[in-house]
Amino acid sequence: MENIEQKNEMTAQQSLNIISEMINDSRRTILQSSAKHFMLWGSLLIFVSLVVYWLWQSSGSPVWNVVWFVMPALGFPIVRILDRKDSDIPQSKVNMNIGLIWLTYCIFAVCISVIAMLWVPMNLTLVLVVIFGFAQCVSGFILKNWTIIVSGFILGIGGAVAASLLFGAEQLLIFTIGGIMLVVTGLIIKSQYK
Amino acid sequence: MLPKLDPLLHSELRLAVMSILAGVEDADFTYLKKQTGATSGNLSVQIDKLSAAGYITVDKGFKGKVPCTTCKITPAGLDAFEKYVNALKEYISANK
Repeated sequence: MENIEQKNEMTAQQSLNIISEMINDSRRTILQSSAKHFMLWGSLLIFVSLVVYWLWQSSGSPVWNVVWFVMPALGFPIVRILDRKDSDIPQSKVNMNIGLIWLTYCIFAVCISVIAMLWVPMNLTLVLVVIFGFAQCVSGFILKNWTIIVSGFILGIGGAVAASLLFGAEQLLIFTIGGIMLVVTGLIIKSQYK
Repeated sequence: MLPKLDPLLHSELRLAVMSILAGVEDADFTYLKKQTGATSGNLSVQIDKLSAAGYITVDKGFKGKVPCTTCKITPAGLDAFEKYVNALKEYISANK
């Protein structure tokens, strides 16, 4: 961007151009930074789901689902490190709302998982995949991106059907697909706001 | 009759700063400098003018051990910015 120094002679059109250029540049910088979060959590989801799948398949025991708790334990410190690097990038309403949606998802996922593991057995994959799809869908609406909206619908509804038809470790592969969708969402944001 | 344009906003750098601040919660000096490409001295002077008019608040603190100046648009600043944009639209449509 060209240097903007003090000029008082501007036409109305020049002023509007400055406003739209500044808003678009700022939005691009902020969303480029939030794309990293999608790619990080997506990669972690792919990795952890495949590790749990492999451990469950090879041992035959669902107890390995406990490894899921590694995800927030690993993810949040990495997010902190990433955010420290981008500490001068401000929060906009868009990335703040997206962050809140996924933080809420994370809290729901951890609480429901603990309840399902300790007290009330349930089809945990079905519950988690529906709210995952919902969160993805709402993120798409906020970003005004139809690919993300549709992928959220497909993951939520298709995932619920798959979670009812699949059993055992195979259900975990739904989360691998969810992880791929998060990485793709990050890549879409990166290319959309290049 | 066309509305008068706010002279405080009708300057490139101040308008650029206000446009950035209108879309974020707050922004630090480094970010504003990077986005506008202005010099530190000039940006500082214009930020002071916007702050004196009550359009933005300036908070001087620390991020860890590094000094950090954070700017935030005020409701009065947002209102003035909206009025300025609406006035610009009137100017443009009057010239068509």
